[in-house]
Amino acid sequence: MTAGAIYALIALGYTLVYGVLRLINFAHSEIFMIGIFASLFAIDGLGIDVTDSPKTGLTLALTLGAVMVVAMLTSGFLAVAIERIAYRPLRRRGAPRLAALITAIGVSLFLQELFAARYGREFLGFPRVLEKRKLFTFQGADVRSDKVLVIVAAVVLALALERFVARSRLGRGIRATAQDAETAALMGVNIDRVVMLTFFLGGVLAGAAGTLYGVFFESARYDIGFLPGIKAFTAAVLGGIGNIRGALLGGILLGLLEKWGATVLGGEWTDVFAFTVLVVVLMFRPTGLLGESLGRSRA
Amino acid sequence: MPRNGLRRIVLVLMAATLVLAACGSDSNDTGTTDTTAGGGKKTTVNLAFVGPLTGPNANLGINIRDGMQVAVEEANMKGGDITFAIKEFDTQGDPAQAPGQKDKYIPDESILAVVGPTFSGETRAVLPDLNEAKLVMISASATNVALPTDIPSDVFHRVIPDDGVQAAGIADYVTKKLKPKKIALVHDNTDYGKGLWEGVVKLLGDAGIDTSTQDAIDPKSQDYSVAVNKVKAAKVDMVFYGGYYNEAGRFKKQLADAGVKSTFISGDGSLDPGFVVSSGAPGGEGALLTCPCRLATPDIAGAPGDFAKKYAEIVKKEPGTYSSEGYDAANILIKGINEGNTTREKLLAYVEGLGSYEGISKTIEFEKNGNVKAGDVFVYEVKGGKITELGKTSELAAG
Repeated sequence: MTAGAIYALIALGYTLVYGVLRLINFAHSEIFMIGIFASLFAIDGLGIDVTDSPKTGLTLALTLGAVMVVAMLTSGFLAVAIERIAYRPLRRRGAPRLAALITAIGVSLFLQELFAARYGREFLGFPRVLEKRKLFTFQGADVRSDKVLVIVAAVVLALALERFVARSRLGRGIRATAQDAETAALMGVNIDRVVMLTFFLGGVLAGAAGTLYGVFFESARYDIGFLPGIKAFTAAVLGGIGNIRGALLGGILLGLLEKWGATVLGGEWTDVFAFTVLVVVLMFRPTGLLGESLGRSRA
Repeated sequence: MPRNGLRRIVLVLMAATLVLAACGSDSNDTGTTDTTAGGGKKTTVNLAFVGPLTGPNANLGINIRDGMQVAVEEANMKGGDITFAIKEFDTQGDPAQAPGQKDKYIPDESILAVVGPTFSGETRAVLPDLNEAKLVMISASATNVALPTDIPSDVFHRVIPDDGVQAAGIADYVTKKLKPKKIALVHDNTDYGKGLWEGVVKLLGDAGIDTSTQDAIDPKSQDYSVAVNKVKAAKVDMVFYGGYYNEAGRFKKQLADAGVKSTFISGDGSLDPGFVVSSGAPGGEGALLTCPCRLATPDIAGAPGDFAKKYAEIVKKEPGTYSSEGYDAANILIKGINEGNTTREKLLAYVEGLGSYEGISKTIEFEKNGNVKAGDVFVYEVKGGKITELGKTSELAAG
């Protein structure tokens, strides 16, 4: 469930970009990784040391809030920068979609190796910010403070995004572009701005996911984004890529399925089980559980 | 146009990073320079270090490389006609990367022997080719039991007892000293982790301890909650983990966070300060780590203590897990080469007929299959964020 909530947040980034550009942004997992690093540096920047005791009350809320804002902005602007540098030139020249996909993989490797070269290939430890306290027991499972934080934050952010896309003027632009970019442009929508906004929103959520992941797992490394990135992409496909609610549903579902599969069949079967379910779902519903529809996103 | 200019800069940057990354991954000649460069005809002989210098569990490889470094500098300090140097081949400990490195050191004629490979999985991947090339290897750390039997070869040697010896030590200590009724056993699906795990499962099961709680984790993942929940639900007295320090530390931390207070024990792959780091200091407290090796510290009397002092001088840190073994392995080879065994075939024959060699980690004597004759298993405990020695399993079990 906790892992699922994080998958869902990352999946939203894949889904938004796919919905608007029909592009699978493989660099998204690195935007998430950089969100984790940004959180770590923000925590360091606040002068919190590994030996410090966890924060409580207002200090905790402020610390987490500040760290998350830093991570969200870093990842958001990074995503925009990637779009400007790597994707927009291709789009301008009408390059085939495959070229953009390969560029995405290139950007992903570039960022990974950049961080490996700069921060080494060892894990960096996080100071403990949030005390992992047991709140209560529900049906034999412990409900812990950090898990509650991750799930609540993820769901709130996902719903906020959904509202934004469905209700606001900018959101309408996104939906219009997703439905038919040319017509939207004719109707006065600035496509470049919409695309930028889309990347920014996806990046912001990946940054938030980075903070949550960092606080939860307390480690960072250059390739840490890879596995969650793949899982989030799977979640997006499972829920119906291009569909915001689908990403949320897909993420949480995938998280639960994984855990369930691993519990029943043993830890080494986690991925086998999760991906078998994906294949079976796609056999019967090729567009995912909720279908591909950013444009038709109900509101 | 400024836009084009920007693009060009980015391209150049990307290219530069790629080149840098490529250089970083195969910097092979950072070995010692010729310190005693005098007149006369001195020849340089290379020893290959094969193992992880980067990657998730690189500390174990770095310790061995640094142990070799001490041996090489000592040998060069003494003078003589031969100058020794180390060539490094970084596999990141990954069986998939080992063959690529092998294609670099096997054809390199200046290399007479290999210290390594570090891990069991990567050793398995290259052993048949080493055997064909008659390139003798002495591993300081590859402890999988089945290695010499699965791949019969002349070149395989190790200066550390295998996991069968370690498993027996762990089982002895656990059954006689800690006496749990029920133990959870978890591994990481690597050749080493699973191999040690199998040995421990069998021996503890035979001793009548409940070993029904078993699981495996994915070392690439961060999230071990399934295994943690299983351990927690089973209400065990102890947890055994077979695997390397990074994952062991994270697993221990997640156990502690979930409120599991059972005694945690793991093998030599976890014996590294990296365990304390990845467990987040308080999470690792009280963990027991075993090793068929003795960590050299300056306060041990005799050869290990002297080695620790010299190591601190040359490498500027304390010796770690396998540093002594790396030193011994390199010294055996250096001795052989100094005695005139300056071809791969001669050096192989020398190591095969070594007899008894007084190393600092133990008295080394190879069996026919390349295993070292049994040694002691030591137990360490994480106390106040430091790894401290408790003693030999045989003595602890008796006491």
